[in-house]
Amino acid sequence: MRKRKINGYLLVGLIITGALLLMTLIGAFHTPWDPNAMSATEKFQAPSLAHLFGTDRFGRDIFSRVLKGSGTTLAIALATVAIGAVVGTLVGAVTGFFGGVVDDALMRLNDALTAFPSILLALLVISIVGPENKYNVVLALGIVFIPSFARVTRTAFAGLRDANYITSARLMGASNGRILLIHMLPNTARVLLPAVTIGFNNAVLAEASMSFLGIGVTPPDASLGYLLKEAQSMLALAPWYALCTGTVIALLVFGVGLIGEGLQKMDREVA
Amino acid sequence: MKYALKRILMLVLTMVIVSFLTFLAFELISGDPAEAKLGTEATPERLAALRHEMGLDRPFPVRYVSWLAGFVSGDLGTSYNYDMPVWELIAPKLEVTLCLCLLSFVLITAVSIPLAIWSYRWTGTAFDAVRTAFNQLCMAVPPFFTGILMSYFFGIVMRLFIPGDFPDLRTDFGEAVTHLFFAAICLGIPRAAMTVRMMRSTVIGEMQKAYVRTAISRGNDRRGVLTRHVLKNSLTSAVTFLGQTMAELIGGSVVVEQVFGIPGLGRLLVYSISNRDYPVVETLVVILAFWVVLAGTLADLINQRIDPRLRLGGAV
Repeated sequence: MRKRKINGYLLVGLIITGALLLMTLIGAFHTPWDPNAMSATEKFQAPSLAHLFGTDRFGRDIFSRVLKGSGTTLAIALATVAIGAVVGTLVGAVTGFFGGVVDDALMRLNDALTAFPSILLALLVISIVGPENKYNVVLALGIVFIPSFARVTRTAFAGLRDANYITSARLMGASNGRILLIHMLPNTARVLLPAVTIGFNNAVLAEASMSFLGIGVTPPDASLGYLLKEAQSMLALAPWYALCTGTVIALLVFGVGLIGEGLQKMDREVA
Repeated sequence: MKYALKRILMLVLTMVIVSFLTFLAFELISGDPAEAKLGTEATPERLAALRHEMGLDRPFPVRYVSWLAGFVSGDLGTSYNYDMPVWELIAPKLEVTLCLCLLSFVLITAVSIPLAIWSYRWTGTAFDAVRTAFNQLCMAVPPFFTGILMSYFFGIVMRLFIPGDFPDLRTDFGEAVTHLFFAAICLGIPRAAMTVRMMRSTVIGEMQKAYVRTAISRGNDRRGVLTRHVLKNSLTSAVTFLGQTMAELIGGSVVVEQVFGIPGLGRLLVYSISNRDYPVVETLVVILAFWVVLAGTLADLINQRIDPRLRLGGAV
């Protein structure tokens, strides 16, 4: 029996991401301290066993705040990727499968949109759709992420269009809907999965950037980006605030990036 | 030459479309600027007078053309917040952002291409996994986090620059560039990591081609083939990618300017968006779009000079 080679990237990525997800999940129900409870006697405490990440200007426990914040960030990133992936795949499937004038026009628009830095587009969309809050952040980022998913899936669907098994399915009388959904969609998972990991990372970074700029999540909600914005204002007195929050963002993106790397490596080895 | 002309024509056409869409979008969302200026309590007569003065009573196409002409004449209207001409507000900030992005671009190019070649040599060794992980890590650390770390260590601890206090670019050029240098590094790290990754896979793909096998079987050494043939053939994709980098940098600069307190376009954009200062946002959108389109056009033009196949109109 051939021994399966362990995919190191995937393994390490899954461990890091899994640990962070688990902690965030627990944090959604229970945090060691109330993330908003202030304490005049415990201001600017360096990390200790009682306060793992220390405390801030108001004596709030930073670890608890980071747990809550990463919950918000994860929820926004997942919702964004869901919108981008579902709508993008729909657009990609239709244009890639049917081709024609609509395909050409949409792809030109797509090229123009993907050339534009996504953070700028997201800022513009949010300036158009209205007040800065977490729902509008999801809406803005979701819209901005559609084109990149559409492009990836379009290529995949267009490539499968003339495959023999599709022709034979059509000869057997399968409808377009059936062909797209049952036969083609599972075969695009190969390109869709790495795209989802990249999209997720971009969403985390974009949300963090927007909230950091103050055009994103606003109180009472707090995301990791918003926490970093807070942390920057007390950098000289509580450097651990910025350090811990930033490290959590970096670890999250790093872990998911490794998963993407691992998936692509797996794909190369199968091929 | 013919190709270049066509490409520039396309650039102009794209910009006209972008500017029209921008003008239309802001026309729809921004409401009545006269009312915004005078408040909802204003009398209808005063509103009508101000509308006439601001030229708002003219038909839409006329207003669009006169706004477009403003990009040539420099008259782009007045900012709601600062009550000063938009162009006077933007021009000094444009300089700063341009300096920041160019500095970062030079750093990225200078660092990532040698690194890509160097990292290619390690392909297939045990070190490869460490290198990939490090590469992913560099892409994972957001620029505003490295920015905060840098302002803490180099600013607050080592006092090489004062975070948030940006010296004037004209009078204090040296100091300003030091300040910009740290910002440029933060801006460049993730993009440099992506460039290394992209260049490396291009070189690997190129090394597997038949002409490389032929060259090596004829007795050329790998190193010579790499520098003489493979790198030349990888150049076009590198130029395209660096063109995209130029476009991405302007997006990243928005965040980095905020961290380092650099008074550039990005901060102005953020401030204007939060304060619904539409004339400024509108102009900035067109300038940024121009930047993005220009970067792509330049990359195409350079590629067309490098690669004779493109000049002959063939697809590569």
